Amino acid sequence: MTAFLRRLAGHVARGLAMIFVVATISFFIVRNIPGDPMLALYEKLVTSGMDPAAASQAVRVAYGFYPSGSLWEQYVDYMGGLLRLDLGTSVTNPGAPVTGVLAEASKWTVLPVLAGTLLSFLVGVIMGVYAAVRRSGRLGDILAISGSLLHGVPQYVLALLLGAIFGTTLAILPTDGTADILIEPGFTPEYIGTLIEHATLPVLTYALASYGGWILAMKSSVVTVLGDDFILAAELRGMKRSIVFRYIARNAILPLFTILAISMGLLFAGAVFIERIFNYPGLGLMLIESVTNRDYALMGGAFLLITGATIVANIAADLLYTVIDPRVRSGEEAAA
Amino acid sequence: MKRLAAVVALLGIAAASACSSSGNTNKSASGGGSAVYTTIDGTKPGIDPNGPANPFAPKGNSFSGYNAMKLAWAKNHLTDPNQFYPGIAESWEVAPDNSSITIRLQPDNKWSDGKPVTAEDVKLSLAIAYTQGSTAFALQPGAAGAAAEVTVVDDKTVKVTQDMSNPSQTFARGVLDTAVVPAHVWSSVLPADIWDKIKAARGTDAAAEAARTEITELGKKIIAHNPGKDVSAGPYVLERVNPSAALLKKNPNFYNAANVAPDAVQLLNYTGNEQVWNYLKAGKLDSAPFVAVPADTMAQIKQTPGNVVVKGYSPVAVGLAFNQSKKPYDNVHVRRGLAYLINRAEVQKIASPEGGLPAVTTTGIHQKAAAEWLGAELNNLEPYAHDVAKAEAEFKAAGLTKKDGKWTLPDGKPWKVSMHAPAGFSDWLAAQENIKSQLIDNGVDAEVVTTADFPLYQTEMAEGKYDTGFWLIALGPAPYNIFQRIYGSANGWTNIAGKVTHNAPGKNGNWMGSAEEIEVEGLGKVNPGELTAKLNSVGAEEQKDLMLQLAKVANADLPVVQMWDYVNTQFQNHSRFTGFPGDDHDLLRQPHGVWIQLGMIKKKA
Repeated sequence: MTAFLRRLAGHVARGLAMIFVVATISFFIVRNIPGDPMLALYEKLVTSGMDPAAASQAVRVAYGFYPSGSLWEQYVDYMGGLLRLDLGTSVTNPGAPVTGVLAEASKWTVLPVLAGTLLSFLVGVIMGVYAAVRRSGRLGDILAISGSLLHGVPQYVLALLLGAIFGTTLAILPTDGTADILIEPGFTPEYIGTLIEHATLPVLTYALASYGGWILAMKSSVVTVLGDDFILAAELRGMKRSIVFRYIARNAILPLFTILAISMGLLFAGAVFIERIFNYPGLGLMLIESVTNRDYALMGGAFLLITGATIVANIAADLLYTVIDPRVRSGEEAAA
Repeated sequence: MKRLAAVVALLGIAAASACSSSGNTNKSASGGGSAVYTTIDGTKPGIDPNGPANPFAPKGNSFSGYNAMKLAWAKNHLTDPNQFYPGIAESWEVAPDNSSITIRLQPDNKWSDGKPVTAEDVKLSLAIAYTQGSTAFALQPGAAGAAAEVTVVDDKTVKVTQDMSNPSQTFARGVLDTAVVPAHVWSSVLPADIWDKIKAARGTDAAAEAARTEITELGKKIIAHNPGKDVSAGPYVLERVNPSAALLKKNPNFYNAANVAPDAVQLLNYTGNEQVWNYLKAGKLDSAPFVAVPADTMAQIKQTPGNVVVKGYSPVAVGLAFNQSKKPYDNVHVRRGLAYLINRAEVQKIASPEGGLPAVTTTGIHQKAAAEWLGAELNNLEPYAHDVAKAEAEFKAAGLTKKDGKWTLPDGKPWKVSMHAPAGFSDWLAAQENIKSQLIDNGVDAEVVTTADFPLYQTEMAEGKYDTGFWLIALGPAPYNIFQRIYGSANGWTNIAGKVTHNAPGKNGNWMGSAEEIEVEGLGKVNPGELTAKLNSVGAEEQKDLMLQLAKVANADLPVVQMWDYVNTQFQNHSRFTGFPGDDHDLLRQPHGVWIQLGMIKKKA
């Protein structure tokens, strides 16, 4: 237990140091992106019909939401705010706290990406075992080819394809947003139904795009395990096929759990293209908008959230391994 | 099993969060058999479900013409910027010397919470206008067309006087184009002495500067303000919003509610043109404002049952602007040569087949408005029709030479026309690619450079980094705004409180780099920046004369080659509703909520 706590403390310390470094780097990168949002806003207002003098004043008001002072002063303010978990206020949504904007966008990213990841993991792992066990047969070939194909197709191509088939040609699934506005929100079958209906294509796209990786990784892992002595011993002892199969799966899945844990950290990185294509208002769409508007606080907050989640997931993956793999645990205990 | 339960619980929490997040209320607006009008708000891509019902917030859920009302709706007439449709104001009267406007409110209009719309609401809204920046409510001392006094005449009448030290012809427009909010909801955001602060801010001393700073800070407060439940004086009131759409239900207290046919309006969210195309192809939208559409997509949209495409005047054009600080674009013969060499009809056909008309010539004015402003004189201007021989003659006059079929600079160095456009502006990029092909075919080397995005494009252009780039011009209907685009700050002229100064090429945002005075045949030496500034204040007849002079300058000197004049292409679906405005109707330039509030749109029998 002491070893575990010591390991955890080390991870947390390293994680905090990494977050500090990432926050610093992202602060300076974000604020050095070329392009003046004020000029762009002025141009937008004037070309939408506003008088130039009025546009200048309107821009001055909007400009008030941008951080002021020298870069160093802004950095000190930013890091001070970070300690209080205050990421500043958004310019795109003037005056709104960045933490609130991120929280709102996060749920629309986490929900489909989590569902897509779990779905693809489940199907990919099962199919991966079959692909490995039946690797000399037609089924194994088909599964392996499908995995390679889907692994190679970019997310946005899949999204466009599924959107065209189910959203436009067959017109059976919506491709616009999260729910039908005409349905009253609440815990009703109707409303939950519309949420699921709208999430189907984003989830399906994400699941199909990640499925290839899982099936290939699982197949490779199973093939490695199949060559282990304990499998041969089990077969020689005349164990039932289903029990041997369980032995194989349990041992082969260990490395995939690590990948799964790291994938969880990427939940917040989301799927920019999928959200853009299906107009799904998650972090990806928010990030595009914040870059276009040079919303420094929002951009910085989003980058921090994504990197922070990845760091936490990596720590969790490392700790998880000690829990699920007795060999690692006993090794640590012996060392302690 | 425990792990599975944990996953299910996690998903449940997420679903609960999603279920509970949406909507400002939990009432449903759609009853059985109700008529819901479906559209998009062309000015608000990206609906924010957490945005306040605040007409001043860029991401607010106040939608112009539906639950956000102005005193009146500007018609954007070809030549007269002061024509309006009624809104909160039933009528208005402008003093003969343009020194004041008296506004009478709709007598029976009420806010959605049942309180009457009064002159005090308007007065508070005009105070807010000072915090946000507006032509008539500018704080800079000496600003053109600024209001001097706001007086409540009676419960339904307000009088606004103009500061006649620097009057503007567009004063009435500046006043009427003001959003009106309920005083009983918004008064707490402004200090009680707001009018004293406004008065102080219009001075020239240090106290005035301090007051201006204070009012600008108030502007931020206004933008960020969340008034809670929507209180609207328009035909609709916000019911709920989710990331897919906003739902507005009919406001029974609206003065013309009896003639408002749709029971509810849903404004669908979109973040890019592709989504609007998909809505249109699916026949979901009862109407949609202008959206650039490629030819093949347009054909698909037209095939959808009920879909109708209508076209009208759009007061904007696009041109290829030159940086005259860079050689050889400082030479007018080079600019003219390029004007002759580029086949504008071909460019428009490739780049904007449905959304534009090839420019008949370069005047700086949209061709429809130019016909009104210039009359027969328009035909006397050089049309710069596609003519390779004339182009070559101009290039030779500029000292360019042709070697091995390629034009080179007078010093023998190679010449490459470098054109810039921001990524995502597909029509501009398609146009420039076509121009590039045309130029290369005629011995002028050319390239198209894409800039990452619009803010970067604006910055680099203002810094004078580009040789040439596309630039929106002819922004009507106010004549000053039209020519301000080519003889304003981008070309060196700064107009502060009616005083015009000129910055040297390459300085203070003068990226076009014109000289301060230009010699024009028949006009002599003219200062186009000063002529442009005068457009603000002179009477209608003198305006007409100035517009002609400036058109002649723009035509002869070519700071910009006008490529195409935009056409307001809109979409309607006549399956569910009728009464839509047809081709060339001035209501096509209004938010579609104005069609509904005026009682035009009817349910299909």
